[in-house]
Amino acid sequence: MATATAQTLPNDINTRGDVVLEDPIAGREPLVRGGHDFHAVTEMVCKFNEVEVKKTPKSFLAGLSLAGAVATMFFGYVGYLFWEGPGIWGNNNPVGWAWDIVNFVFWVGIGHAGTLISAILYLFRQKWRTSINRYAEAMTIFAVICASMCVALHTGRIWMDYYLFPLPNQMGLWPNFRSPLEWDVFAVNTYFAVSLLFWFTGLVPDFATLRDRATNKWRQRIYGFLALGWRGSMRHWVTYEKAYQILAAFSAPLVLSVHTIVSFDFAVSQLPGWHTTIFPPYFVAGAIFSGFAMVNTLMLPARHFLGLKDLVTVRHLENINKVILLTGTLVGYAYGMEFFVAAYSGNEYEGFTFINRSFGPYWWAYWIMLSCNVVTPQLFWFKKIRTSVGWSFVLSIFVNIGMWFERFVITVTSLHRDFLVSSWDYFVPVTEVFFLLGTFGLFFTLFLLFVRFFPVIAMSEVKGVMPEANPHWEGYGDHGHGHAAHAAAAEVH
Amino acid sequence: MSHAIEKPKDITIPAGSLWAKLPMLGGGAAVIGLGATLAASFGEGRARAMFSYLFAFEAVLAVALGALGWVLIDHTVRASWSTVIKRIAETVAVTLPVFVLLWVPIGTIGFHDLYPWTHEADAVLDRKRWFLSNGFFFGRAALYFVIWSFLSWTLYRTSVKQDTASEGELKGLTHRLWRLSAPGIILYALSQSFQAIDWLMSLQPHWYSTMFGVYYFAASILAFYAFMVLASMGLQRAGVMKTAITTEHFHDMGKFLYGYTVFWAYIAFSQFMLIWYANLPEETVFYMVRNTGGWHYVSYALPVLHFFVPFFFFLSRHVKRNRVALACGAVWTLVMHCVDLYWLVLPNYGTHGEGAHEAVLSVGWTDVAALVGMAGAFLAVFGYFLTKNKVVGINDPRLPESLAHENY
Amino acid sequence: MTAKSLWGVLAQYETPAAVFHACEKVRDEGYQQWDSCAPFPVHGLEKAMGVKPSKLPWAVLIVGVLGSSLMLFFQTWAMGNAYPFVVGGKPLFSLPAFVPIWYEITVLSSCVTAFLANWIMNGLPQPYHPAFASKAFERVTDDKFFIMIEATDPKFDLEKTTALLKSSGATMVEELEP
Repeated sequence: MATATAQTLPNDINTRGDVVLEDPIAGREPLVRGGHDFHAVTEMVCKFNEVEVKKTPKSFLAGLSLAGAVATMFFGYVGYLFWEGPGIWGNNNPVGWAWDIVNFVFWVGIGHAGTLISAILYLFRQKWRTSINRYAEAMTIFAVICASMCVALHTGRIWMDYYLFPLPNQMGLWPNFRSPLEWDVFAVNTYFAVSLLFWFTGLVPDFATLRDRATNKWRQRIYGFLALGWRGSMRHWVTYEKAYQILAAFSAPLVLSVHTIVSFDFAVSQLPGWHTTIFPPYFVAGAIFSGFAMVNTLMLPARHFLGLKDLVTVRHLENINKVILLTGTLVGYAYGMEFFVAAYSGNEYEGFTFINRSFGPYWWAYWIMLSCNVVTPQLFWFKKIRTSVGWSFVLSIFVNIGMWFERFVITVTSLHRDFLVSSWDYFVPVTEVFFLLGTFGLFFTLFLLFVRFFPVIAMSEVKGVMPEANPHWEGYGDHGHGHAAHAAAAEVH
Repeated sequence: MSHAIEKPKDITIPAGSLWAKLPMLGGGAAVIGLGATLAASFGEGRARAMFSYLFAFEAVLAVALGALGWVLIDHTVRASWSTVIKRIAETVAVTLPVFVLLWVPIGTIGFHDLYPWTHEADAVLDRKRWFLSNGFFFGRAALYFVIWSFLSWTLYRTSVKQDTASEGELKGLTHRLWRLSAPGIILYALSQSFQAIDWLMSLQPHWYSTMFGVYYFAASILAFYAFMVLASMGLQRAGVMKTAITTEHFHDMGKFLYGYTVFWAYIAFSQFMLIWYANLPEETVFYMVRNTGGWHYVSYALPVLHFFVPFFFFLSRHVKRNRVALACGAVWTLVMHCVDLYWLVLPNYGTHGEGAHEAVLSVGWTDVAALVGMAGAFLAVFGYFLTKNKVVGINDPRLPESLAHENY
Repeated sequence: MTAKSLWGVLAQYETPAAVFHACEKVRDEGYQQWDSCAPFPVHGLEKAMGVKPSKLPWAVLIVGVLGSSLMLFFQTWAMGNAYPFVVGGKPLFSLPAFVPIWYEITVLSSCVTAFLANWIMNGLPQPYHPAFASKAFERVTDDKFFIMIEATDPKFDLEKTTALLKSSGATMVEELEP
């Protein structure tokens, strides 16, 4: 594929910034722009990690302090929740599930894009994933931490949470494995564990890079410990790549199963609005949708501040936006199909629920959801918009909002109209906003720490997809932009 | 690639090969098979014969619809591994306009026997009249065929034009294909879901499932991949693209066959699980009729034979890279696809209206005749278009990448 | 033979192509105790070295099947025998309802195996390696490529091996102490 790429390389290989190739028919845009060699990639990625702790930029410290303060507030709020119980929320019959579950599904959904990028795109040989998979995976892990906080804290007597696990006890009692809520426990924990293993496996060669470049003892020791003595041995790479491939092959169906099981929490019930068979793929599509939006929300500022525009290019942005468009439209299909079948079924309860959703007391939530999830992403049909950094950022925020409201619509509006008219109620949150805000604080604290100390781009993988990584590469064709390394490669042939 | 692989030269069907005779052979099978089925529909066995006919129609339509969906997706994601086999898929899809003719008996002879909502009435059905009414039903059917014919014909024609296009035109044609495909997916998704609802789900008009369209999509794309594997191998046997389609391409088709087997199982299990768990009578009726009179054997066999067996069979890399093994897997998948569709259609026979009884599994000769006839008609058209043009889009800008494709 | 304090020799290459062809040479010379190191898995290099495919998938398959069957058995036993209790009208042995956890544990056991087997089979973590003493080797995780041949290799001869590496395009060859 080298020739094909060569044909469409811009004439000035040092063209920086957000250039879009006009017509990538014969070839594809290069994954790394700006004519960097391997060493330049290492330098770019490691630069921020290697800033001395005392010289951390003030703006970064300000951001971290803000996120840290909100995270601290969150732990204070959790203490309050421990003390008072879930009575500090607006949950009450018939709305027994509200923001706690909405936040849980929201966060666990965001996590899915990370695994999708690292596993599914890997299986589909989408090489562009290499520039974005690392922090998408980090995002997964932090989002799943937030999600499991939400769900662990909503149980009421939080100190009894160990009952969720099949621990032997003197009563001989086991958790009910036939309950969807128990499936959730296994799904979320498995997901967290496997994402962590996958992430760490990918990080090891990059930790080795930081170790080898370390200029002070502590840095060398810590990264050296994390790098496990990795030395890039080809014999190791063979097993390593196999393991990575297997982790990807298992993570791909795992990510589908996790949100499927989350959807089962709702869909195995008999509640109209919850019980519908399209929920599993619909939830999965929604999760990927929200996750990719969050990738954009995080990636666009990160690539700007860390100076990674040559590694994370407009091509990445465009691809992400295309996935957002696709999954947003799939979600739209599911909304439509739910509505249609509610009408088609001739079932009065189904019909009522869906009319109530769009025109009942929570009509505003429904229309926010619909416009943010289905309508605004359609703007990505235009190439101008999906290659524009500003538009992408704004629309990704819209999607984040829309997907939170989707979970709100599903959870709250389906519950607030009980079968028994006398129990109908209108849910109003009390202190929940601190709960949601707090998880954002936790998420961003973890994410900023990750950006500061871990390589945000999988260096070894990016190098592996650069054209000069191919031992049979012959340089950039007629363009003659090769530097020493390129020329050497050509000479050998 | 540095060593550009030469474009294949063996890209037309040699006269005298089995493929060149396919229109004749397939046409013969169609006349005999469908003729016998339709003949059986005059008289006592009309309803039974029409159920056979609908089963065969949907089973074969799935392959063509799967191909259409695949081509649309393939253009949209700008795939390159698959360019060597894309023309074959386009040719499978271009059989879709012919299904209009094949559909006619369903809308005429079998209409009342197949669809109870045409003549039954109760409180629930009355609330469904807005959708399940004759006029709207025929209108929708017409719309589906218009969409499918338009999409498949445009994709095929544009692709064929590429073969003789100049450098400058080529760019425009490629762009036209890309521009059509992304919005085409929306039309495709809606039309194929609603045809599944109209022609299969409404066989049991009280039952409903939002997943049903996705279920049919899973079945169709799976059947298409199985057919694709066999068609590619068959063409190579006839001396077409002997070196162009490599083990690497078969390996990838094998992976997709594997992947969509899992996808089918995922959709089928999710649909079953949710209905089983909630246990609402208006939904469990679907599984109830498939749980009596011998049908329960099929219901139990499907997850085992349509999922577990192929799952473990296709697991190994060696199987996907071995032509004989892959062909066996593809044949197996196609057979199980027919069983799946049989299981969707036939239990509805005799379970509605006057003289309704429990569903009983009894395979009749019309099932076989209809399937042979339908497959014959499909293959005849497929063979006709295949011999008419080159078997590969020889000027496709992605072809060099596809020829050099390698798994690692 | 060789001096006691010699572990082997280390040769540096500048490009994937150079190390690729050097590996082919070293392989064809019949060396056994040697390795090449690169900042990323160079496509096809394992073939140039003559490394056999990894056995790791077998470990994953065995433990995965084991974990999967144990979990299914455990669920059946816990729900049906240990504490038989009907909830929500579901039968004691509810296979469809066991599938999700069954599946999750299959994935979990397979992935943990893949993760651990990766490090165990590679002999990692390994805090020290003779090559770490080399200043040049610090670039192995950045942009340089290396071949190291151990002194214990039956074909090893300091002069000949060094000459071979130099002739194969190495930009630097140095001796490593254990």
